[in-house]
Amino acid sequence: MAEIEKQYYPGKTSVANNRSKHMSNDLEKLREISDEDLTLILGHRSPGSDYPSTHPPLEEMGEPECSIREIVEPTEGAKAGDRIRYAQWVDSMYNAPATPYFRTYHSAINFRAVDPGTLSGRQLVEARERDMEKITKVQLETEMTCPGLAGLRGATVHGHSLRLQEDGVMFDMLDRRRLENGTIVMDKDQQARPIDKKVDLGKPMSEDEAAKRTTIYRADNVPFREDDEVVEWVHRIWEQRTEYGFQPK
Amino acid sequence: MVDKDKERRFKKDLERKFTQEFGDNKQSGGEITDKKTEYQRMGVAQSPRKMEMMKAGQELSKKRGLVGYNPDLHAGGVQLGQRALTPSYLSGTDMLTEMDDLHYVNNAAMQQMWDDIRRNCIVGMDSAHETLEKRLGIEVTPETINHYLEVLNHAIPGGAVVQEHMVETHPGLTEDCYVKLFTGDDDLADEIDDQFLIDIDKEFPEDQAQQLKESIGKTTWQVAHIPTVVSRTTDGGQTRRWMAMQLGMSFINAYHMCAGEAAVADLSYAAKHASVINMGEMLPARRARAENEPGGIPFGHMADIIQTSRAYPDDPAKTALEVVGAGCMLYDQIWLGSYMSGGVGFTQYATAAYTNNILDDNLYYDIEYINDKYNNAAKPGADNKAPATMDVVKDIATESTLYGLENYDRYPTALEDHFGGSQRATVLSAAAGSATSIATGNSNAGLSAWYLSMYLHKEAHGRLGFFGYDLQDQCGAANVFSYQSDEGLPLELRGPNYPNYAMNVGHQGGYAAITSGAHAGRGDAFATNPLIKIAFADDLLPFDFKEPRREFGRGALREFKPAGERSLIIPAE
Repeated sequence: MAEIEKQYYPGKTSVANNRSKHMSNDLEKLREISDEDLTLILGHRSPGSDYPSTHPPLEEMGEPECSIREIVEPTEGAKAGDRIRYAQWVDSMYNAPATPYFRTYHSAINFRAVDPGTLSGRQLVEARERDMEKITKVQLETEMTCPGLAGLRGATVHGHSLRLQEDGVMFDMLDRRRLENGTIVMDKDQQARPIDKKVDLGKPMSEDEAAKRTTIYRADNVPFREDDEVVEWVHRIWEQRTEYGFQPK
Repeated sequence: MVDKDKERRFKKDLERKFTQEFGDNKQSGGEITDKKTEYQRMGVAQSPRKMEMMKAGQELSKKRGLVGYNPDLHAGGVQLGQRALTPSYLSGTDMLTEMDDLHYVNNAAMQQMWDDIRRNCIVGMDSAHETLEKRLGIEVTPETINHYLEVLNHAIPGGAVVQEHMVETHPGLTEDCYVKLFTGDDDLADEIDDQFLIDIDKEFPEDQAQQLKESIGKTTWQVAHIPTVVSRTTDGGQTRRWMAMQLGMSFINAYHMCAGEAAVADLSYAAKHASVINMGEMLPARRARAENEPGGIPFGHMADIIQTSRAYPDDPAKTALEVVGAGCMLYDQIWLGSYMSGGVGFTQYATAAYTNNILDDNLYYDIEYINDKYNNAAKPGADNKAPATMDVVKDIATESTLYGLENYDRYPTALEDHFGGSQRATVLSAAAGSATSIATGNSNAGLSAWYLSMYLHKEAHGRLGFFGYDLQDQCGAANVFSYQSDEGLPLELRGPNYPNYAMNVGHQGGYAAITSGAHAGRGDAFATNPLIKIAFADDLLPFDFKEPRREFGRGALREFKPAGERSLIIPAE
């Protein structure tokens, strides 16, 4: 993980503060997920197996002379020749702690060699497999994720904007995880292929806790309209982009 | 001050959609403001249309001995319909439809709207008349024009006019093919047989008719609609070629010209090139499309093709909303959805903007806000407009977007209806952009509001659309006011192939609406081209361009009668 300085975000609300924390990787750890469980739910390889590789370790390859290669230290995954794999998240708009852009900012600012993709209903990170696992583990174990309001979904991601289930869990068409005895268990991997055990993802956040930790503005929690400084900065960006483009000379 | 707590225009729609049973979806009770619901996971059995489709798929498999549609193949055996499959209203109507019926393949009205645009071209008559009179010394009178039009209406569907031993097309297959005429010359109009005339005075409100006639002067134009079946079998470029060929033959017949004389070539050149107005411009080679294909239709042309402004001159919001519907259908569902991508799922990007009155609620709220704050600037008129300044754009776009965002928070069923961020982004920005253009009478001010709305939305939700969607909206503000053609243009002249607009859904119908809003807001008779506005003021067209959303509803309910059917020449079932 790269050493970075604190990232700033305008506004004085809890949402603004949480956005700054996510970008700064200043995250409270809330749960422990074992490496084996992480591997199971990601579904890319069997727990304990070697990382499949697409090329030999870099030190065995005899790299060509290249000043950029001399400057840039490869990540562990790149050194080992790992293949590129992904983790894809869906975060509910009902106060899930993370939002797609802030998951992306978190990985892009704090980790190297990542390729994040940001959509409205999902967010994915592609990276060398072991590097991707590191990022995913941080996101899974910390306040960035509520297991009831977020989920790892490789495909069929529908759910981020839907009303919650009666038990407060975000809908998943493929029923990859559910609330059992007060905790969220996942018995299918990202692609909804059954796995051998029920992985315990921890307790879902209470409504109050999620409202406190979220990075989405909502009229029934922290209204965007009332975070004046953020709105002012959006206006400033819009004005400057517009005026910069209008240069009739 | 505008009452923010008043009943929403989408209330009835969402109550029907989310709190009452439809088909066998076992969904009833609750409020549209509830944040939680029970998911019944009933699969396709809940939907009458899906069951019809499944039965058809099974019959097809049996009949041809080759498998086809099978909902059990979805997601490894998990059928669609784990959440309730719910119907939608066409906005501005009482027509309730299943969403499958708004895919253009399943909707004859949608197909016909596109057919009626593609198979249409406008050809000037004045240069032809000059050729006849000045070069050949042939007298052209209202009587000869009427005769020529009679001949042409025989010839243009495929009837022979001068040659022996010709095959002809069957009138039963080409009933939608005809030519009409319009002119800004009142004296000539009086002399033209009613069956041939698009009467500007009759079709448009008085002030709009005046504007149109002043714009076109005493020129005379013919509007040709080639047969739907021809247009579908060939391409958009065929429209002017087919028109020019039959037109040339008809001149020869009606004016007793020599089939080989050079003047015929002049008439042909005028019809094919010099005096022809295509609905869509030719696209560059990398798109490989001729004229009259959707990617070449500028937003200003789309604004003129839709006829709502002459039927509802006092309601500019209605005009913008109908243009949204038509634009999203053509540009998103057909152009980007099929021509450009080959996808099937583009339908719901588009339908969000013209179903369940969510966009309508946002825009009519904006109209009240504008009239309240800017001294009735949203009412039609040129002298009452708010100034097109950054401050005005900022104010209207911000209020519109925040209102729309708050609706998604207060009405979780609205959020669920617009389940994708691209849908929400289109709707919020279309409202902000159209409202601003109606208030200022300036389409580029509206475009500027569109981009501000996108920024506000992204920042509020921490999400917007998808990669390409967001890219387009992040960089767009920088070219809003650029008028060099490689950097920007007035919105009227931009189109689906404008740089950055060519790649993703959910935008182009909105841009067309913003364009139309500016002119409907000013009380203009047309947005860009008066000839196109007049050409579509014709009730004989199968598709009613005054009410595209209602027509889509008729298509979905299987009440719309399209043209170009082949039942005459195929075995009866």
